[in-house]
Amino acid sequence: MFILEAKNIRKSYGSKLNKQEVIKGLDLQLEAGEFVSIMGASGSGKTTLLNVLSSIDSINSGTIMIEGKEVSAMKEKQLAQFRKHHLGFIFQEYHLLDTLTVKENIMLPLTVTKVPRNEAEARFKSMTEELGIYELKDKYPNEISGGQKQRTSAARAFIHNPSMIFADEPTGALDSKSASDLLQKLTDLNRSRQTTIAMVTHDPVAASYCSRVIFIKDGQLYTQLYKGTQTQQAFFQDVMKTQAVLGGVPNEY
Amino acid sequence: MSIKTLILRSLKKNLTNYYLYVFALVFSSALYFSFVTLRYDSSMNKVQASVKGEAGFSAASILLLVIVSVFLLYANQLFMKRRSKEIGLYQLVGMTKFKVFRLLSIESMLIYFGSLTIGVILGFFSSRLIVMLLFKITNVQAVATLHFSPEALLQTLLVFLVIFVLMLLVNYFFMKRQSILSLFRVVSTTEASVKKQSVLELIIGIAGLCLIILGYYLSSRLFSTDTVATNALLGMMVAILASVIIGTYFFYKGSISFLFNLIRKKKNGFLSVQSVLSLSTLMFRMKANSFLLTVITTISALAIGLLSLSYISYYSAEKASEQFVPNDFTFSHKKDLASYEKTLSDHGIPFEEHRIKVLSVPADLSDVSDRPLIFASSNSKYTPISVISTKSINEPPLKKNEMYLTGANDSFLRLTNFKESGTITFKLKKESLKRTFTELKHHYVVSIKYSNGSLPVAVVDHATFQLLEKEGKPTQSIYNGLDIKDNTKLEAANDYFIHQFKPVASNNLSPRVASRIEDVKQQRGMIGLAMFIVGFLGLTFLITSGCILYFKQMGESEEEQPNYTVLRKLGFTRDDLLKGIMFKQLFNFGIPLFLGLSHSYFAVKSGWFFFGVSLWTPTLIVMGIYTMLYSIFAILSTLYYKKIINDSL
Repeated sequence: MFILEAKNIRKSYGSKLNKQEVIKGLDLQLEAGEFVSIMGASGSGKTTLLNVLSSIDSINSGTIMIEGKEVSAMKEKQLAQFRKHHLGFIFQEYHLLDTLTVKENIMLPLTVTKVPRNEAEARFKSMTEELGIYELKDKYPNEISGGQKQRTSAARAFIHNPSMIFADEPTGALDSKSASDLLQKLTDLNRSRQTTIAMVTHDPVAASYCSRVIFIKDGQLYTQLYKGTQTQQAFFQDVMKTQAVLGGVPNEY
Repeated sequence: MSIKTLILRSLKKNLTNYYLYVFALVFSSALYFSFVTLRYDSSMNKVQASVKGEAGFSAASILLLVIVSVFLLYANQLFMKRRSKEIGLYQLVGMTKFKVFRLLSIESMLIYFGSLTIGVILGFFSSRLIVMLLFKITNVQAVATLHFSPEALLQTLLVFLVIFVLMLLVNYFFMKRQSILSLFRVVSTTEASVKKQSVLELIIGIAGLCLIILGYYLSSRLFSTDTVATNALLGMMVAILASVIIGTYFFYKGSISFLFNLIRKKKNGFLSVQSVLSLSTLMFRMKANSFLLTVITTISALAIGLLSLSYISYYSAEKASEQFVPNDFTFSHKKDLASYEKTLSDHGIPFEEHRIKVLSVPADLSDVSDRPLIFASSNSKYTPISVISTKSINEPPLKKNEMYLTGANDSFLRLTNFKESGTITFKLKKESLKRTFTELKHHYVVSIKYSNGSLPVAVVDHATFQLLEKEGKPTQSIYNGLDIKDNTKLEAANDYFIHQFKPVASNNLSPRVASRIEDVKQQRGMIGLAMFIVGFLGLTFLITSGCILYFKQMGESEEEQPNYTVLRKLGFTRDDLLKGIMFKQLFNFGIPLFLGLSHSYFAVKSGWFFFGVSLWTPTLIVMGIYTMLYSIFAILSTLYYKKIINDSL
């Protein structure tokens, strides 16, 4: 049973005369509990893919099923409802509301579910303690560091126990120490909660934390790598090699 | 792309964005032009001659000018800030500052003078409408004809040209001061960044609430305690104004965030999306704009207060003229009365004559008012009070020791703290005479001229009256009043009256003869002009302040658009967000409005009795209209938000 199944999806932008096809008939399956990275060069369509998978953007043809429901056929209101209850998001620029405290930001997805207050409180506590940001709960986003912001964002994505989490370059704006911290936490959460995570990145280090890496080129699936039983270091080397072949550019590391 | 196409393109874009600015500009120039046209028009002489409105008109046109120019300069500054990125970009691609300045100036010149032209044309046509309205409320019988007045046009053009030059100067200095980098950052510096609440803010918040309440409390005691007697009135008024205005400022600076913070604390992190969009942003925004909001609130309060007071006077004109002319007609000389009676009989109009003998008897009023200082002319314990007999006004006799007072004026009663019942001791030549009264009636029997200042008139039993007359040897006078029995003939009788007494009726202060209808007309005329001018200014202020709040909301909505994107990605629907925005607008426009209404309510309440006899109806009508017009801006900005929310995903 796949938690996410995309079949022959196509997406294009622009007018009739000037059409730019970004995703050209792509198939993808994610299994429950997977931690998957999507990699590709700039303009390869990886962010567009994440957007259409996560129902923020619509597709032109094909089907996307999440938990057996056909997301691509839903109306706007149903989609919103679906996102609210079943999906979580982490963005590169954190996207925290800066007029809300850390706690209020994290609790936001819970206000629409019917979780009782004390259970919400308990979830908040365990979640933030796991991520090490419990002490920051009354601070505003502009008072904390980038790494802390991204952990807050992660807590917001996880708190309502979604079945899938989409992360768009979550480490893009972080220094390498904060980035590896965050990725370790995500890996832990992925294991402990069995939440499926799909992450777009172009950082091979970030990708090496995942169990599978999917490479996109020109709107199509290029290849994919499974970590299997490899060490992270070995997997990192594999990812680097594939990326070099894919991009045709010498790697930066 | 040449500069010309650049100008035309951004003009097109700006017109759709700033239609409200164009509207405000058109509106204010139309208002100003029609106002000035009125001043220069010959048909206005009719209104002005009767009530001497020239001074009022010129004062109002200056005030109008101040409001309009402050508004235009402020709006201009807002737009410059909003467009600073664009200005920076032009400079980045190599335009000189002067070239950018020229581009912006030509663009704003096109908008400005385009709107001005439309405004002047509209103003010319609407001035006729306005004159008709003015004639209607001031009761001037004339046909509203207007001529195009070149002086008015010249004055309007000159004034708006000066404002435009000022705007250009402001823009010039704005650009000269800024570097390219700071132009890219300028938007964010205007709003205070989100900060934790400090103890100081908490104190300011509480102080704000306390100051406002203190001001209200003082205002309610303004005319009812010893302030009047101790000549502390002016000091008290200054204290009220200061505490309310400072309180308002503190309210926006601290109280709002303090109150909202309490609510947030109570929710313990569990904020619904509605409160996310309203409470949490408002508490920071209001703090950052507290000065602007204070100014808007204070002037709103002033406008509503003045409008209410002038409408109260207008509304009560009929009632007020009863004081001066209690019957349909009054006459000081008997021969005038006789000659008028003859005229009426000749034309077959039935009438009723009221000849009332009025005694002026010294009396001790210390029992009914603890503030005798106001009406006692000398140090004497006794104040002359007018006394009439029940017989002379055809009323049933009273008990021997009883009497009642009538013709009580609200402002007088409040100023003197007059009691509803009590004992009055009349001083006779040898002895004194005590009478108790149990009633204080409000209708007037004789005109104010016969009632010893503003004191009510004592109505006593005929036996007592005779005793007073015989033993006291007081000064006597006779009040001559006349009522027309058939109300339908009143107009005709009034026409004969005017025809007969035109030469003697003109003296306002102590008329030999007076007609109620004419008196009401005159009062209406005078108050009507004041109300007209205040209304004009109030409307201008309402529209300009509404526009400023709307522009602020436009900026805010664009700044918050990323938040809407996040929320919509998280799965909140447009309707969820829109609900929150409506809530936010309710506070954003509602709080200044509510504060303004409440300030003006207390201001009006403290002194309305000087202006008329009815508080609630006129005040509520004014407040209702103000609120309705004001809400239009809240609706407009909600619509703007709707557009932004729709575009955010």
